[in-house]
Amino acid sequence: MSYIIQLTMSMLDGIKYTVGLFGITLLLSMPIGLILCFVRSGKNKVLSSVVGAYVWLMRGTPLLLQLYFFCYGLTFLPFVGQYLVMGRFQSACVAFVLNYAAYFCEIFRGGMLSVDTGQFEAAKVLGFSKWQANIRIIIPQMLKVSLPPISNESITLVKDTALVTAIGITEILYFAKSAVNRDVNVSAYIVAAAFFLALTYALTALFKYLENKFSF
Amino acid sequence: MEMIRVNNLKKSFAGLNVLNDVSFSVNKGETVAVIGHSGSGKSTMLRCLINLERADGGDIIIEGEYLARGGEYPPAKESRRICAKMGMVFQNFNLFPHISVLNNLIYAPVYVMNEKPVSAKERAAQVLKTVGLSDKISAMPRELSGGQKQRVAIARQLMTNPDVLLFDEPTSSLDPQLTGEVLAVMKDLSKKRMTMVVVTHEMGFARSAADRVIFMGDGRIVEEGKPEDIFTNPKDERVKQFIGSIII
Repeated sequence: MSYIIQLTMSMLDGIKYTVGLFGITLLLSMPIGLILCFVRSGKNKVLSSVVGAYVWLMRGTPLLLQLYFFCYGLTFLPFVGQYLVMGRFQSACVAFVLNYAAYFCEIFRGGMLSVDTGQFEAAKVLGFSKWQANIRIIIPQMLKVSLPPISNESITLVKDTALVTAIGITEILYFAKSAVNRDVNVSAYIVAAAFFLALTYALTALFKYLENKFSF
Repeated sequence: MEMIRVNNLKKSFAGLNVLNDVSFSVNKGETVAVIGHSGSGKSTMLRCLINLERADGGDIIIEGEYLARGGEYPPAKESRRICAKMGMVFQNFNLFPHISVLNNLIYAPVYVMNEKPVSAKERAAQVLKTVGLSDKISAMPRELSGGQKQRVAIARQLMTNPDVLLFDEPTSSLDPQLTGEVLAVMKDLSKKRMTMVVVTHEMGFARSAADRVIFMGDGRIVEEGKPEDIFTNPKDERVKQFIGSIII
């Protein structure tokens, strides 16, 4: 039992990276995704295709590859590489935010497509500018439809944070793996699993609450 | 006074001519009913008036100002200002489902016209009373029947104090029992000399409440006149057939 407690204590130290990466990614990638969604659905064909290509690139390549690229690859870029030196955690954040923004862009776009065109028209005849209509009328309705996929994506994100163990960030899985190797005992993996389960449980509860709140 | 003047309005969708040289005008305080077969261009014409569709050619003049001139439009801000004098009621109500009836009514006055929320709320209570829905002020749209939704939609548009109200088949998605309550509100507005253009299949309303009836067919105005003349003594063969085929 004391062994389990000891494992838990050491992993608690790693949870700051897991939760930190999760929080930063969610907080930044959602607004970026929302902006990308509006550009993607906007009238400007060029910008729309640029975002389309971006989404294709980010969703079409492994997150692990992107993680390696931003952590180890950036500095080798000609000319600009020397200015792009980041800490490992920072580069992990950049990779995650850019990757998840692409997914959120598509989630929000789905939400936007689900809003009836009559809503845009009603807002227009009432005198709303496009901007006002989007903020007051369209986005709240988009969010309702987007919540279940956002919930899904957030749970995936919690688990994806484990990937950064590959670039040597000392998050939960990093501790677990070292403990298993060191002690020749599988318990650490189970403790790590419990951590992830607890986090995803909390998230599920949070999104359930939000979905109730948005049930108009 | 002329509230709306339309000259030679043209509109086509993917090569199909929906409107061919439509010209008419609407005077202040007048109720004009637009009738005709489905696909005759009635709704498209109405949507052009408030800039939900862009005309390809012709003029649209709202209270002396050009919304479209030879198919050319002013910048978005300018066209929004011109269209703000009008309101529109849709077939599918298009209430905002995520906010209460009260908020549906006060959003445009508060956020678009910068009215104080307190005064907007007071007006909302009054306007809801005129459509007979005082008790629904804090209801959500999903809790209302179709007829109630449409009356809220009318109230919402009245909150912006429009000079002209456009109705796009306002009772077409309602049960016959619910149609009556909406028509009653519209007749009441018509009596108060609100300027109205009503695209409708409700011949009873066109006959009893309209000052003038416009019959459209194939993107043109086929016949136009007083309701008695159109309904009892139509000149055009197509109008005769149409009137003969319906029961009033």
